[in-house]
Amino acid sequence: MATTPGIYFDGISSKPQAIDVQLDELNAGIRFGTFSEGFNLWLVEEITFEQIGNSMEIRNKHHSLALVKVNDALFASELIAYLSSRGHLSWYQRIIQLGIKAHISIAVLILGIIVAGYLVIIPWVAEKAVMLIPQKYDISMGHTFYQQYLNTNTIDSAKTGALNAFASRLQLRNTQKLHFTVIKSATVNAFSLPDGNIIVFTGLLDLMKDYSELAGLIGHEASHVNNRHSMKMLCRNLSGYLFISAVLSDVNGIMAILGDNVHNLQSLSYSRQFERQADEQGTRLMMLNEINPTGMTDLFSRLKSDEKVTMPSFISTHPITKDRISEINLLIKNTPHRFKQDSKLKELFLQVTH
Amino acid sequence: MENELPDLKNYKLSFHGQGKAYFGIIIVNWLLTIVTLGFYFPWAKAKNLKYLYGSTALENDRFTFHGTGREMFVGFIKAIVIFGLIYGILALFMYLEMPVLGVLLFYFTFIAILPVAVHGSYRYRFSRTSWRGIRFGYRGDRNELVVNFFQWIFFTIITLGIYGAWMVMKLRNYLMSHVRAGNVEFKYKGVGSKYFILNLKGYLLSIITLGIYSFWWYKDLFAYYVDNLSLHKDGQQIKMKSIATVGDIFKMVMGNLLIVIFTLGLGYAWAVTRTMNFMVSNIKLQGDMDLTNIQQTEDDYNDATGDDMTGFLDINFII
Repeated sequence: MATTPGIYFDGISSKPQAIDVQLDELNAGIRFGTFSEGFNLWLVEEITFEQIGNSMEIRNKHHSLALVKVNDALFASELIAYLSSRGHLSWYQRIIQLGIKAHISIAVLILGIIVAGYLVIIPWVAEKAVMLIPQKYDISMGHTFYQQYLNTNTIDSAKTGALNAFASRLQLRNTQKLHFTVIKSATVNAFSLPDGNIIVFTGLLDLMKDYSELAGLIGHEASHVNNRHSMKMLCRNLSGYLFISAVLSDVNGIMAILGDNVHNLQSLSYSRQFERQADEQGTRLMMLNEINPTGMTDLFSRLKSDEKVTMPSFISTHPITKDRISEINLLIKNTPHRFKQDSKLKELFLQVTH
Repeated sequence: MENELPDLKNYKLSFHGQGKAYFGIIIVNWLLTIVTLGFYFPWAKAKNLKYLYGSTALENDRFTFHGTGREMFVGFIKAIVIFGLIYGILALFMYLEMPVLGVLLFYFTFIAILPVAVHGSYRYRFSRTSWRGIRFGYRGDRNELVVNFFQWIFFTIITLGIYGAWMVMKLRNYLMSHVRAGNVEFKYKGVGSKYFILNLKGYLLSIITLGIYSFWWYKDLFAYYVDNLSLHKDGQQIKMKSIATVGDIFKMVMGNLLIVIFTLGLGYAWAVTRTMNFMVSNIKLQGDMDLTNIQQTEDDYNDATGDDMTGFLDINFII
């Protein structure tokens, strides 16, 4: 029977009492004689303990303030072994005693599950969520942005009219009405809003050499609208952000910032996926309209090689433009198609670009 | 110090927590919280506090946190119901198309809830803390605190926030001066004007020096907290003094930043134990109090609602 010196606090005053603690297997507990209360027997089922380093604090469930302190590693391990053999070691204490290697493995496992959830589950849920959101939200969102945008930019109304006439001659498989606006600006760019408004800058139009290039751009942007890419992006960003902040909420500010950056990288690759889809469907739309589909790649190549032009956002974020061009080329090669010259489109194209 | 006596004793405050052990606690908490879809959270919080309190020792005897997950869970549910009611009332007023009244009432209840939550939190945490078998306690009066709090908030609003420094000091004086451990009474004597100047100086110089001065600011804040705190019993006392240097703070903060970033957050446990170690080892206690005859005076108090409300409101326990 193990015996060790210890200190007892009776829970009435802070006076330490020197005691001898004995592991009493006969009575299934620990025994110690005290100055204030005489002999005490704490049964195994009443005992709770905390062990920090060599020091062990033993308490009694029925008398939670009283406390026995021992500083004897041997006694501590004997007591733990005894409690364990009597089945009085909680499952929590068992997990805690597994040690750092097991804890690191658990951490890595949880991280793995979280990353998998983020990469697979979130995009899937977001995609489904978009189906539930009525299209009128796309429209009001796009509309608000469009109004604000026009307040600070100048429309080229003649070119806007010609561009709309150009687009109306094309079959774009659109589910909602498309409306094109040409903005006077040297910026080389174009973008679409979720309500079907598509904004094109004169800077981009001026670089075009053939109407098939314009048709390519229109096909690309119309596909973004048709697939509700803006709303999908918003849902993914939002749910991804919620997910990350939910997982990290227990940690601190630094982690939140880290999480934010991770998320930005991730949403960049979402947008790559959307751009690929728009490229592919835009090219198919050109074929449908019997327009030479190489207009799409001609435009990309010219923008890419022109060093004076900074890459417009509709192509630069993306799977490296070179890859996109070759993907489109492959599609053109593998898809039977024919095209012809359309003099009406050609005429409208000249009005848009000059 | 003017009233320093020759037979003053130094008391040893120490922190024994280790990143490795604390990491185990956090990971197991994390795992169980995820597996139980979050329901384990109150139990996790209790385990967390148990470890941190239990790792802190005065004169080689550890503090103990007696709170349980069950108490915190009940408090958690009550806190959810209370917040639900507040938002429910706001929604009701919106529905009745009386938004102005609704919003006013909403802010009013929110301001009223802050002191109630802090009061509850103090009562719970201290009643659940012990040292050498002696329970701590908080004896502030809830209604008095609420009335005071409304006055302080009122002055803070009409002075466009300037009174905030006085408010924090009055709040801290009130809260800490009602804390006790058995028959040992705590006392905090902060002065609003000094605290205001300390913060004004810290703020302005931090801007001018592009944040470099913030280490000095932190040092002053820490010292202002610690140096004004003292313990009293039967005419005996213990005074506290911060011995933290700017170098210590720089090492602690930058070290934690690097640890957390380079371990992608997994080193959080080490950051916490380093911070605790910094705080505990930089508080010097000196006085003539006999710590072997403290008497048990405080009752049990097991309602954790206030503690959970402060958690929702994102208020730090120590104000």
